[in-house]
Amino acid sequence: MNPYVLTTLILSLGLGTTLTFASSHWLLAWMGLEINTMAIIPLMAQQHHPRATEATTKYFLTQATAAAMILFASTMNAWTMGDWNINQISHPLATTTVTLALALKIGLAPMHFWLPEVLQGLNLTTGLVLSTWQKLAPFALILQISQNTNPALLTTLGVMSALVGGWGGLNQTQLRKLLAYSSIAHLGWMIIILQFMPALTLLNLTIYITMTSTMFLSLKIMASTKINSLALAWPKTPTLTTLIMLSLLSLGGLPPLTGFMPKWLILQELAKQDLPITATIMAMSALLSLFFYLRLCYTTTLTTFPNTNNTTSPWRLKSTQITLPLTITIILTLMLLPVTPAITTMF
Amino acid sequence: MFYVEILSMLLLVLGLVAVASNPAPYYAALGLVLAAAAGCCVLVGHGGSFLSLVLFMIYLGGMLVVFAYSAALAAEPYPESWFDLSVFSYVVVYILGLMVVGLCFFEGWYDGFWVVDELKEFSLLRGDFGGVALMYSLGGWVLVVCGWVLLLTLFVVLELTRGLARGALRAV
Repeated sequence: MNPYVLTTLILSLGLGTTLTFASSHWLLAWMGLEINTMAIIPLMAQQHHPRATEATTKYFLTQATAAAMILFASTMNAWTMGDWNINQISHPLATTTVTLALALKIGLAPMHFWLPEVLQGLNLTTGLVLSTWQKLAPFALILQISQNTNPALLTTLGVMSALVGGWGGLNQTQLRKLLAYSSIAHLGWMIIILQFMPALTLLNLTIYITMTSTMFLSLKIMASTKINSLALAWPKTPTLTTLIMLSLLSLGGLPPLTGFMPKWLILQELAKQDLPITATIMAMSALLSLFFYLRLCYTTTLTTFPNTNNTTSPWRLKSTQITLPLTITIILTLMLLPVTPAITTMF
Repeated sequence: MFYVEILSMLLLVLGLVAVASNPAPYYAALGLVLAAAAGCCVLVGHGGSFLSLVLFMIYLGGMLVVFAYSAALAAEPYPESWFDLSVFSYVVVYILGLMVVGLCFFEGWYDGFWVVDELKEFSLLRGDFGGVALMYSLGGWVLVVCGWVLLLTLFVVLELTRGLARGALRAV
């Protein structure tokens, strides 16, 4: 792509998120969300093959619908209650509509159907941007409306997302769809704790972004988008193969890795709020996700793929890709659990 | 005046039904013209004359004309009008739905539209052009952001339709 256009689009992505972060008025927040949607559309379609175009179209339609719903909800609230402030949204119809609209924007169940198909049509870099950066602006709004939303709605969205993310990912062999369902499950965990301790939602979001970045960047270096090709990719970089296994276990939420931190803190808070059944259901649904992460660990690292004897292994050449971001995110994905007290003070 | 306002609202809704029932783009654009014109008349009826004229000029005279030229590029030999069965079933369903909703919510005339017309006939500064003046004065940097968004949309559209076969949308 033309470097000037690429710069414009990436800077506009930054502008959109910054606008939504900095706004207290619903219209300005909506503008930021629309700028984000507009700016990422050509990045998604830049390979110009029909699958990418299809993914771009689906993404545009869902995000435009969600943005229109946000506009309707804020106008409803302004009409009935006279307030355009983001955290003063109080009319029950408006808060429900805006919660559902933001859930559609980030891909919570039952509004998740677009996420696997859209993510599958993109290359890994754009998929990374979609899974991480594009979640920040809607979450800024979700955190601000958290106190006014219907608790039953939030609990339903959270539990359903965790279950759908678990069950949906079980049947996937394409890694981008698998990461999409993993994203849905993590979003479920973020939403379930929103009404009790929004700081934990933010902590979970940060750690999820770190872990997902690790996965996408590792897959980019291994140049694999299917379980089959990931299974044969270990000769390229055996070190990274081991680290991928550990990152997957961190995504699954196993101690002593970082991914355990949000799950532990969320379950503890749910128990303190006298919701043992919800906590149990969430923990059980995490087992479903853990199964497909473990399947990936098996095929990638723990077992040798049953290919024929005369296949050639790839040469172990020095990669020409920039590996610094991956280095940083891998360390954060694996080593942050002992400093949990420091992390909790940051949120 | 009462009759004109009712007629405008009726034509607005019928024009939107004509668009939403999914005929070929030519006919849908025709429905949009009807809906936009009727919407402008509704606006005039509530005191927003400036806004109505600007809407006519920019929406119909600018965007719809460009859309009509683009639709002419995607010409079909047998365009579906509203009287072909697939479209007509949608038209019937929408009109029935409208009648049901109208019967449920039929309450009476709501007089007084403070969005456009705060003090009715007794103010010098009307809602519509007063708002434009505010946009350019106190609106300040948000206006700059809106201008940037328009420029960004131009780049987005150009990038999506770049080149002939290399573009994402058209294989021609």
